Amino acid sequence: MADGEGGDVVSEYLTQNPHLVPWIESLRGHCETNKQWHARREFILRNLDVFPNIQPGTQSPCLDRLLSLSMVWTNHVFMGCQYPQPVMEKVREMAEGICVHEAPVHKTRDELMGKIKRPHPSGGDPGSLVKKNKVGLNDVDGKGEGKCVALLKSGPPPDAPAQCQSFFNRLYKAVAWKLVSAGGFGPNLDHFEILRSCAESLKVSLNCVFVPLKDIPDLPAGRTQKEGQVCELRCQTVYMGTGYGRDDGAARAMASKEALKTFQGRKVTVKIARRRFHGRDVEDLVLTDEQPKSPVFPPALSYPFQPDSQDANLSM
Amino acid sequence: MGVPAFFRWLSRKYPSIIVNCIEEKAKECNGVRIPVDTSRPNPNEVEFDNLYLDMNGIIHPCTHPEDKPAPKNEDEMMVAIFEYIDRLFNIVRPRRVLYMAIDGVAPRAKMNQQRSRRFRASKEGVELAEEKQRMREEVFQRGGYLPPEEIKERFDSNCITPGTEFMDNLAKCLRFYVADRLSNDPGWSNITVFLSDASVPGEGEHKIMDFIRRQRAQPNHDPNTHHCLCGADADLIMLGLATHEPNFTIIREEFKPNKPRPCALCGQMGHEIKDCQGLAREKQGEHDEFADTVPMSEQEFIFIRLCVLREYLERELTMASLPFPFDFERSVDDWVFMCFFVGNDFLPHLPSLEIREGAIDRLVGIYKDVVHKTGGYLTESGFVNLERVELIMQAVGVAEDNIFKKRKEDEENFKRRMKEKKKRLKAEQRPAFLPTGQFAPQALGGYGRPQSIQNARHTAYEMRMHGRDQQNKDAAQSLKATLRNGSKASSDSLDGRGVKRKAEDSDSEPEPEDNVRLWEEGWKQRYYKNKFDVDLTDDSFRKKVVKSYVEGLCWVLRYYYQGCASWKWYFPFHYAPFASDFKDIKGMFTDFETGTKPFKPLEQLMAVFPAASGNFLPPTWRALMSDPDSPIIDFYPEDFAIDLNGKKYAWQGVALLPFVDERRLRATLNEVYPDLTPEEVRRNSLGSDVVFVGKAHPLCDFIHELYRAESHQPVEIPAELCHGIQGTLNLDEEPILPDKPVESPIPTLRDIANNCAVGIKFKDPQYEDGHVFKAVILQGAKIPNKVLKPGDWERSNKPWRPQLGFNPNRQQVHLDQSALRTLGHHVKPQHGGGQYSNVPPPRGPHMSGQYSNAPPSSSYHQGNYRPPHRDHQPPYHREPAIDSGSRPLQQYGAHGWERSMQSQGAAYQQNMQRAPGGPRGYHQQQDNRRQPQGYNAGRNFPMPPPMKRYNWS
Repeated sequence: MADGEGGDVVSEYLTQNPHLVPWIESLRGHCETNKQWHARREFILRNLDVFPNIQPGTQSPCLDRLLSLSMVWTNHVFMGCQYPQPVMEKVREMAEGICVHEAPVHKTRDELMGKIKRPHPSGGDPGSLVKKNKVGLNDVDGKGEGKCVALLKSGPPPDAPAQCQSFFNRLYKAVAWKLVSAGGFGPNLDHFEILRSCAESLKVSLNCVFVPLKDIPDLPAGRTQKEGQVCELRCQTVYMGTGYGRDDGAARAMASKEALKTFQGRKVTVKIARRRFHGRDVEDLVLTDEQPKSPVFPPALSYPFQPDSQDANLSM
Repeated sequence: MGVPAFFRWLSRKYPSIIVNCIEEKAKECNGVRIPVDTSRPNPNEVEFDNLYLDMNGIIHPCTHPEDKPAPKNEDEMMVAIFEYIDRLFNIVRPRRVLYMAIDGVAPRAKMNQQRSRRFRASKEGVELAEEKQRMREEVFQRGGYLPPEEIKERFDSNCITPGTEFMDNLAKCLRFYVADRLSNDPGWSNITVFLSDASVPGEGEHKIMDFIRRQRAQPNHDPNTHHCLCGADADLIMLGLATHEPNFTIIREEFKPNKPRPCALCGQMGHEIKDCQGLAREKQGEHDEFADTVPMSEQEFIFIRLCVLREYLERELTMASLPFPFDFERSVDDWVFMCFFVGNDFLPHLPSLEIREGAIDRLVGIYKDVVHKTGGYLTESGFVNLERVELIMQAVGVAEDNIFKKRKEDEENFKRRMKEKKKRLKAEQRPAFLPTGQFAPQALGGYGRPQSIQNARHTAYEMRMHGRDQQNKDAAQSLKATLRNGSKASSDSLDGRGVKRKAEDSDSEPEPEDNVRLWEEGWKQRYYKNKFDVDLTDDSFRKKVVKSYVEGLCWVLRYYYQGCASWKWYFPFHYAPFASDFKDIKGMFTDFETGTKPFKPLEQLMAVFPAASGNFLPPTWRALMSDPDSPIIDFYPEDFAIDLNGKKYAWQGVALLPFVDERRLRATLNEVYPDLTPEEVRRNSLGSDVVFVGKAHPLCDFIHELYRAESHQPVEIPAELCHGIQGTLNLDEEPILPDKPVESPIPTLRDIANNCAVGIKFKDPQYEDGHVFKAVILQGAKIPNKVLKPGDWERSNKPWRPQLGFNPNRQQVHLDQSALRTLGHHVKPQHGGGQYSNVPPPRGPHMSGQYSNAPPSSSYHQGNYRPPHRDHQPPYHREPAIDSGSRPLQQYGAHGWERSMQSQGAAYQQNMQRAPGGPRGYHQQQDNRRQPQGYNAGRNFPMPPPMKRYNWS
């Protein structure tokens, strides 16, 4: 059932060491299914040599430690439990090579709450490393940034605004309706959530980049001392807004609010504009709202283009 | 059992079990509060002998209340607890015994639930704190104002678990409290007080049950003791029925759903934390004089009369033509047993049985069917006859398939109805198209008559063009207006035009996916695959689950009728099997392991706390909860899966927490036992119940003498000294003694200089192993008078007078002549105000004085509970408005004050009906006048007495 190759190895091992069979079977929990037990048995047998003090047949703190870790692993795989990171890393190493077929998929409490409310601002999810085929909301927390930057490392081509425009027209509509159903634009909204859900309804994700305020060059004097985070929000490489807050979550909320302000106009337009980035002037794709006065953009915190390259490869 | 639905179901089906409490409030005179003298007769017109308090139902609301600001520190919490007990004491006024039981270490079977609650509570606490912090910053960023954060540590409700310092402290405070009241309160002077604190193993309510069980099994017990048990859990009703004591009443807070709660951030009412704007606080009263008062009414209490419930059950369960003599007491036990299928603290409920879907009625139906075949009852004194249970289960199993299909159908119907309702509500706000000009809708009965239509074609053209012009307006412009000004503008700007329906219903929330789909073919296979991760072919595993469940049913019933059979047993799965899986269960259970011991308090803390609550444990113990090398690290996941299991919210779902391996836990803790300080060793030890009496009590001298003699032998209580209560006394190491001052553990309360109380350790009467407590009515017990209307009442010609309170012959109140004059005088002048005057009649002192003695009988049903059986509801309820005559009392039943006066009016009318020949008031007079209207049509109420019997006294 659950034991493919691994099961064969285990049964082979047990036929070679028949004296171990009664002992290992005595470790089985009363309510364990065959599938769980076979996986855990393999985990225990594979790691017996890591705990040389274990004497099959006698109780010892050492054996209990191994049993505990085996339970941590099966609890994680079959029940969806998450443990502190050091524990998770340890069992992941120990479980290397054991394959479990059709492990059940569970939603942890945090994920469930995150879905209903909002992703946690701190974002640091230690368990995400071991999640199987699960893409959480964590991607928007800026960790996904690296990936996206790598994908789109080319400068903004001249036709990029035109290409992006139709997407942002759709986004504009989505945002407008979302705001209507939320009772109009106002200070009490969860701006990020609105923006995120609209973007996701169009099958794209938002990109947040966080930089501590004190790390930003070119700040007016007197502001450099301040603690806090700055967040830059992009979608499809197009810059949408920047915000400041005490922590990532607050910064992101402000950035989203700024971005939503752009959506208050009659329409939104994607343009190429000059911005400061790391002390240089660069061309950047920005979203504007057709105001007669040309807006002044804050310095860019990220730059998803090669400054020189003219080859664009924007995938819409 | 934590099944709120059960109580709701019960009180709807059997409304007469509920009696509202009458509470005498303390009066204030010149700023001096005069305490109520509780030695006076009980205003509820009933005298209780024993009051039992399940203290955890008091501690939780007093330490972290949901409807008012939390107490600032531990001292305030203790005082709140004292006040709460005082209040209950004042309402119930026990004359013999006050028994206070705090939850001690619980049986292993309860631990799954405790773990689940505590792991969740810990995470919820952190989330609330985070949200508060986030909102706080947001409010500040917007320039809002918030009161400064109080410097206090977050109260972790997890500390309400035996073994923590908090619980230890609580026990000390309660000793002080008891000594104080025994010394100073006249109502307490003859009371025997038992305190069973958290150091005594067992859940609070079950310690109480054990006390009652062991008392009634000894010959000196008074079989007519009137018990009153305080607590909100629905299983108290089961426990009360299980005692077979004829006089048993439960008192609990009246449940009012959707009570407003103050915002956790700014402390103001009217919004939730996520909508907090940080606005300046509104002044309460003209000069802010009500600043600290809670704006809603104080929580009120209700009695649940189990003797009335027994009457109802007798009607429902009585079976004629049985092959054996019918024994009502045994059928009550079977009823209690069947309620366990639907939910209890120790087992997950069967998937096909939901209280809301009438599961208990279904079970009772099946039961009455099956009992004919089985030749006997399902249970006897807490022991289960599995063969007969199997028949019940199989009968449920047959219906299972249809139950699931019906459930799905009902859900779909409900959803559809809600959707339609929403649509309707939306439509009511603004029609999609309104004809204008001469086609414009006219109010009925408006000015003039309808005009004839002229040149309809032109009007139609105009309307069409108007609509087109509107539509041609730039969509973005109106949209812009909408966005700029919020939704209010949208209704203006979009007026008069059809609005395009949104492509998708934006307010339909995403449904949690359901992989089991119980309503579809193959449900059983999917259920086992999804919930247990096994194939349906794995018979041996399924048997294991069923066997555990069968053991569980036996354990729970035994727990209720005989006490804890095994401290070790627990149900080792997260889900229940199907009823149809209960096959060949007869041999699945023989008996429980004997001689099992409860956990020690600190061990239990290790078993139920998440690592986040580790601060309640000694450092080396705490470390075992987070150290990767700990041999029990698997007990403490940081985050865990929640299976919504068809429910909507996370808190309703099943928390998939790993079970604790008792052997490994004990082995690991053995290593850290030496690290305990003497204080912690004391907290970790098992304690004893303590009994207190005041100086006036006959037992006082006896106990005092024991201390003087320093006899360290256990001594039996002489039965004649304490209403036949038996037990063993042992000297306390730190006793409370008469004339020895008691130091106050709370800085704000004074020490007791003139202590009159004495305390001594108490042990329940002991019985030999294998003793079976008989579930029968005791000899000499008098069954209380019937309350419900006899089924054959219609045939006799007397009017039926429903009993509202405890006293069937309560002195009636009535309006005398002068009262009627006053009433008439005050009401008359408002006559000109139109036929449905909303002005409430003035409540002069005379009138309110007359009325106030009656209990608010029907108020319980006003808001949330619609009584399905009306056969004893006062007819006043939902009465059509009295027609407009020249009667001065015509506002009765018209809108305005009807609601507020309803309860009083109902009682008033009751009284009138129940005073034959006595002075009569308005009501009858009016009834007579209204007779032609069919006042009582379709109801069971007899006509009021004819006119001639009525006379002005």
